[in-house]
This record gives sequence, C-alpha cells and structure tokens, in this order.
Amino acid sequence: MRRASTDLHTLAGAYALDAVSDADRARFDQHLASCDACVQEIRGLREATARLGASAAVRPRAELKARALRAASQTRQLPPFARDASPGPRRRRAYAAIAGTSGPGRRPWLTRLATALAAGSVAVAVAMGVLALGAQHRLDLDQVRGHAIAAVLNAPDVTMLTAEVTSGGTATVLESRREGSLVFTAAGLRALPAAKSYELWLMGPAGTRAAGMLTRSKAGMVGPMVVSGLAADDRRGLTVEPAGGSSRPTSAPIMMIGLGS
Amino acid sequence: MTDGRGLPRRDPAAGPGSDADLAVLLAHVARGDQPAFEAVYDRVAGPVLGMVRGVVRDLAQSEEVMQEVLLELWRTAVRFDAAKGSALSWVMTLAHRRAVDRVRSEQKLAERESRAASAQVDYDDVTETVEATLDRERVRRCLRSLTDLQRESVTLAYYGSYTYSEVAGLLGVAVGTVKTRMRDGLIRLRDCLGVE
Repeated sequence: MRRASTDLHTLAGAYALDAVSDADRARFDQHLASCDACVQEIRGLREATARLGASAAVRPRAELKARALRAASQTRQLPPFARDASPGPRRRRAYAAIAGTSGPGRRPWLTRLATALAAGSVAVAVAMGVLALGAQHRLDLDQVRGHAIAAVLNAPDVTMLTAEVTSGGTATVLESRREGSLVFTAAGLRALPAAKSYELWLMGPAGTRAAGMLTRSKAGMVGPMVVSGLAADDRRGLTVEPAGGSSRPTSAPIMMIGLGS
Repeated sequence: MTDGRGLPRRDPAAGPGSDADLAVLLAHVARGDQPAFEAVYDRVAGPVLGMVRGVVRDLAQSEEVMQEVLLELWRTAVRFDAAKGSALSWVMTLAHRRAVDRVRSEQKLAERESRAASAQVDYDDVTETVEATLDRERVRRCLRSLTDLQRESVTLAYYGSYTYSEVAGLLGVAVGTVKTRMRDGLIRLRDCLGVE
C-alpha cells in the first residue's frame, strides 16, 4: 500500500501539468480524496503552471470580445445554489432532488467529504454509505444535482450531523449554511409498507416546509439527497407519511437534527 | 478601485490584475452579471489565448479554444471556490485542460511526434509574440533555474500536450525519472515564483 501511494504521489507534477492519461487522472483524483497534503501540493503546483501559462499573454483580436459576450448572453449558466442572502421565507421554497448519481471520475468534492469525515466520529460509517452509494450510481458532476452536492461538500463551512432514527437506522446530514443547502443520507431505515413513505422536513421560524420524499432503496440506504432553502434556525425532521407525501407532517417525527442536537 | 456597481475596474492593458479582484468578478459572473463577465474577459482573455496558442499553435484554433474557455467560465463560474486556489489558477487550469484536450483529440500521435524535435524551442517562439507583462521575465528567469531535464519535462508536458510517458519516450529517459523531474521542476518553479 505504502509503495503504491508513494508511487502515485510522484504523479503530482504530471497531474498538475495535465500530462497524464485519463486513467492516471482518475486514479490520482481518487488518491487526492484521501490525501490532504497532496491537495495542498497540487494547489501550489497549479499556481506555478498558471503563472507559467499566463506569462505568455497575447492580445486577442478585438472582435473576439463581442463574440464572447454574445455567446455568453445566449448561454445558460449553472444555477447558483443559495449563493445570495436568503430571499425571505415566503419566496424561499425548499426543494429536494434525489441525486442518483456518482462515479469514479473526477470528484474534487470527495476531498471535502474526506475532510468532513476526518473531523467526524461516530457518523463516519454512515457517511461512508454516501460513498458506497455514490460509487454505485455514477455521479456526473456536470449534472445539476451532482453539482448541488458538490456545492455543499465543497463549501468551506460544511459540517456533518448525525441522528438516530427512532424506528431504526441512522440519518446523516452534511450541510453548509453558506450554501443554504444540505445533503441528506440515511442507512438502516426500516422498510415501510407500500402505502407509506419517509418524508423529510425543514422546520423552523420560517415554517415547516416539505423537503422531499426519501426514495426506497436496498438495505434501508437513502441518498444522497440535496435540500436547498435551508434557513439559519431550521431543524431537519423525518416523518412517516402516506406514499404520495403530505404538505404538513401527519405523524410525530422519528428523527430530528438541528439546534443543539 | 471600483465602478459605481462595486465591480473592480481595470485598465485593459494591465494584465490579469489582482487575484482578489478576479475572484470578486467571478462571484458576480456566477450570478449572471454580464458587465462582470466583460471585465473577466478583459483580464483573462490575453493570458488564456497566449497559453492556448503555445499549446495548440494554430491561431484560428487557439481563438476557438479561447472562446470555449471563456464560455465555460461564464457557465461554470459558480464552481470557482476561492478556498481551493487562486482565481487565475482556476481559469488557467480550466483553459490548459481544454487546450490539451483539443490537441490530443485532433492530432494523431504521429503528427505530434513530428513536432517533438522543435518542441524545446517553441517556448521561445511563443514568448516572442507576447505582450510585455511583469510576470514574463520572472517566469523566464525561474524556468532557467530548473535543470535541463526538469525544464524540458515541464515545457514538453505543458506546451507539448504530451503525457509523462510520451515525454519519457521523447527524451529517452525512464518514466519514473520524468515523473520525478516534472514534480521537482514545478516545485522549484513554484518556490522561485513565490506562489504557495
């Protein structure tokens, strides 16, 4: 193992120079997820290559600018996820998206997750469920939902919270106040009858908002599921609802995370 | 210095400007701010085109790649995270990757090999056409402080779009040696340039 990782580590220069095959890049990306020192090193080496590249500046033909501006005005951007100050509870509408995707490609957010994991404790095993699911489902970060996950996991203020579900299982929340978003996962949830489903809620001074139905999956594993519209004093609650979902919780929460939990 | 809307202003001939300014502009761009995008263009189009031209060589193709890069910046600005590196580094990394992808997808290995012999002098060809920038002399000086093998490995990879194993073949040295020289060379370049 040590030898393999030392060998990989020497790839840092080639990686920073884009002088690697796709397979090498994937391998090194994976390595980066578990090596903070390497992330630091790559950052420094990339600053060096950036300066090398930028030092050869030339003046583009003037007409290229108008073309670039026009192209931009006709091109849709990736959505900004709660980058701004909150728009207020009435306009804010929590939405949830099941990110069914994850994969072995480039996963810079894994680095952030690794950091969160290093800081975590009991929840590590549960959060590893995120990784396990992720690998199964192929996450394409270019897709909006994958991007939403990355935005949370890459946020400098990402924190991890876990809670027991009273009916069985454990829920894990990775959240960023700055992004106003969280990534929810759960493991070991008790199977429900077909007519029932788990529903996630945001509950706080801004009111109680439905944050999405959990999908059924094997072995009680759920997620990762992105919820945006998180307000500062929100708790996250889980209830059992009729399969179609409810607009208000109709049963007592079987899990609450937030505010001192 | 800012304009009335809080966007950092810049003299178009002054290079990329301060990185903090560029980071602020990117944050505006992420929210669909077109004047901010124009300001980003003014700052990075020159460095991006210069670098891409060094990699792609053909001017028309380089301009195309530059346009793709700028559009990619517009589209994905929300992904820029100042906690993970400088704004210029983010831009140039994205641009270099695009340029390399273009070369690798469009040129057959044979063609690339025929360019190999001239690759060493190409850095000088490139720099002959550059605008005077404060950084330029410093980067050249720092490149000279590398050993020959380090410098060849770094420039063949960066401007030649070669993988480390191709570079090893071109230079006739072991693959492991090239990997090490690339890393050592970049570390020396980084330290010489005083970037972290």
